[in-house]
Amino acid sequence: MWRRIGYRLSQASPRARVAIVEDDAILREDLARIVRQASELEVAGMAESLADGRDLLATNPDVLLIDLALPDGSGIDLIGEARARHAGIKIIVVSIFGDARSVVRAIEAGADGYLLKGADPVEAAGAIRIVLQGGAPISPAVASHILTRMRDRRGATREELSAPLTEKEVAVLTDLAKGFRYKEVARLHAISPHTVADHVKSIYRKLAVNSRSEAVFEAVQAGLIRFDE
Amino acid sequence: MDGPADYQRSMTPPMPSQVRWPAAAAILMLLVVCWGGLLFVNALAENVSGRRVVEMLASDLPGDAFVARTLPHWHCCATTPMRFRTTLDVETANARDPAVLIVSAHDNARLFVDGELVAGDGPGAGDPTNWSRRPRLLHIPKPLARAGALIEIEVQRGVGFGHLRPIYFGEYDRLYPSYTALHFLRADLQAANGIIGAFVAAFCFAGASLLGARGLMYSLGGLAASWSLQVLGLAPSDPPWSGVVANGIYFTGYLGTNVLLIWFFVEWTSVFADKLSRPPRPLDLLLLPWPRQSRRRLAIVSVVVLAAGVAAIALMLRGDAAISSQDVDRVLGWLGLAAIAFCLVRVVAYYRRNGFRDLFEASAFLFVLIAAVADIVMVRFFFIYGVSLGAAVMFFPLALLLSLAARARGVFEAATATAEKLNLLVAAREREILDAMEELRRNERAAMLLEERGRIMRDMHDGIGGQLLGLLLQARSQKLSETALVSGLEQSLDDLRMVVDSLEQGEGSLTGALGAFRSRIEPRCEAADVELAWQIEDVGVTPNIGPDKTLQIYRILLEACTNALRHGRPRRIGVSLHRDAAGGVEIALTDDGAGFDLGAPLSGHGLANMQTRADRIGAFLRVTADANGTRVTLSLAA
Repeated sequence: MWRRIGYRLSQASPRARVAIVEDDAILREDLARIVRQASELEVAGMAESLADGRDLLATNPDVLLIDLALPDGSGIDLIGEARARHAGIKIIVVSIFGDARSVVRAIEAGADGYLLKGADPVEAAGAIRIVLQGGAPISPAVASHILTRMRDRRGATREELSAPLTEKEVAVLTDLAKGFRYKEVARLHAISPHTVADHVKSIYRKLAVNSRSEAVFEAVQAGLIRFDE
Repeated sequence: MDGPADYQRSMTPPMPSQVRWPAAAAILMLLVVCWGGLLFVNALAENVSGRRVVEMLASDLPGDAFVARTLPHWHCCATTPMRFRTTLDVETANARDPAVLIVSAHDNARLFVDGELVAGDGPGAGDPTNWSRRPRLLHIPKPLARAGALIEIEVQRGVGFGHLRPIYFGEYDRLYPSYTALHFLRADLQAANGIIGAFVAAFCFAGASLLGARGLMYSLGGLAASWSLQVLGLAPSDPPWSGVVANGIYFTGYLGTNVLLIWFFVEWTSVFADKLSRPPRPLDLLLLPWPRQSRRRLAIVSVVVLAAGVAAIALMLRGDAAISSQDVDRVLGWLGLAAIAFCLVRVVAYYRRNGFRDLFEASAFLFVLIAAVADIVMVRFFFIYGVSLGAAVMFFPLALLLSLAARARGVFEAATATAEKLNLLVAAREREILDAMEELRRNERAAMLLEERGRIMRDMHDGIGGQLLGLLLQARSQKLSETALVSGLEQSLDDLRMVVDSLEQGEGSLTGALGAFRSRIEPRCEAADVELAWQIEDVGVTPNIGPDKTLQIYRILLEACTNALRHGRPRRIGVSLHRDAAGGVEIALTDDGAGFDLGAPLSGHGLANMQTRADRIGAFLRVTADANGTRVTLSLAA
């Protein structure tokens, strides 16, 4: 408590409030420790279930760290709700493996980035910071998965995606999938690393939009939604 | 009588009853109305308002004295020509326009008053133009009409039922309606029937090959043609051929009618029936359906009899045409009765066997047969015109066509039903096949899952299992420092993550797989302050490199990377991927460290391990080391 007040006093700008939703007590504590150790972050609250997580959202946090596998449901649902209720909230998925499938699903639901569980505290805080500053962390596996998914979806619906990726975005994504870092990609394409990040953010946004329109498309196909003509 | 019992019912489905009953009723009604109408006309014709002369003095010409004769008399026309004599009564003599109605059939009748020819032209005026059977209504010139005047009527009979009808005297206008009715029955109706018959015949002959039941169609067509031939022989009042030829035509038609009537009814009562289920007996020819072969023989016999009959008729007419005509007519009359009787028995047996399933057919057949009998009875025994056949002929073809249509429809419906059944069968088979395919796919998937599970277990055993076990044993023996524990656990987690990565990247993209690998080794390099030079070419799809090979490649590269970091103290580690000349891929990990002695025991284990993994996935591993550093190259088919 003293420390927090101390941080607050020493900090010119208010600290970002981080809500943590994680059912495993040790991992939850680890995340809390990472947040507390970062000077510009503070813990808004912790929850160990989807239900508690919803209550936590009411406190209007700046950042949501969320696990996908929760005892009473999938974190994906909460991500969707958080994105709908708080447009400005930064959502970061915490995952043991950072496996592309679940990360991409989270991004489609509206997540901004992901964090490996058990990561080095400095590294983890850095990842949170990047997201807070508007960055978009992306692993080669996730990039590769997004490419595959876009291709498959176009094939499946045989229609133009409502938000197709631009050629540049595809090129950037392809290089990211090969393992190149932002800086290297920037050099390869003769653009600034910021532009690469902008591309990735745009890709994330389109992924979410396409996911929503795909959901609508599938609902119409299934007869759940009817348009009155 | 075991006919109905051992006979299989025809499979022809009946028409839908909602259509059948009203239609049949309508046809029957048409027949009855037509019959009634004709009977009314007949009554009109018979109800002559004039003096009916039945007793006459008659004489076969030429010359003999008149003898008293009662009209009608069935002998009267066996010889021909004849002259009848009577006297004019007072009433007729006083009439405004006295006339005589000669009922039966004599275009060639001549009227003499007091020996003077006043109307008609007969044999006395040369050959008669026609022997047809029209009634005559002749004026008696007023100046000659006196009571007691001698009236002589001379006729020459052609053919017919062999009788002379009564003769009527009276007012022309009052006799006229009867004359018109008679004319209608004997001439106009005949012509209409003849035309209908011609149409039916044309339809049958044209449609025989189309409709299939050729015997049936030919016999029916022949029957209709015969009917038309009869009319052609009788009806025209001034044909371009002689009376003898006209008789020949009529007799040919008559004979044809008799012969083809038998053929047609045998066909009709056989063709729609199934095969007899037991050996045939003689009585079967009368009662049961004839087999196809017998029917074919009957057709041949019919044609032969027809030809022989026509020859016989021609021969007979070459002699005394008039007398022979009467003989032929009589013979054919009796033959016709026999034929009708045979057909009646067959039809009754047919309906006893099959039930009245086709109402059109049943009503039409019974009506036409009964009408024929009725006509014969009326003409032969009551000396009035038979009108029943005339009525029957009007609508018999219609009923027949409807009946055929119903059968065709039945056949069509049966075919449709069969097609539907087939469709269902095909659908069921399709489902079965799909189920079987699904089952097969499930089994395949199960086998794949089993293989995959085995592989993952092997991987776990290889990597994380061994590592965790090592850590556990060291911890137990208290030999484990905290740093070693953390690094050991990190290594285990890394290995686990590599397993996950390999599974995710196992879709044939080595480029992506190496990309994932970078995120695993990058932190270590950063921690050791080593620059990672990443030179990955897009090698396209690599279908031969699945999750299994990917994981082994990860491990080899990780081992090489670990070796480099641990022993070489490099400033820079390079990872490259490119296609080689053979179309395979080459992955290389280079460092600019001190290199190491390949023979040294320290690194021996790591190298041997890498070699084993390379062998397992069929890859070629080359490790070169010198003062400038170490290079580990892995080549494999993509």
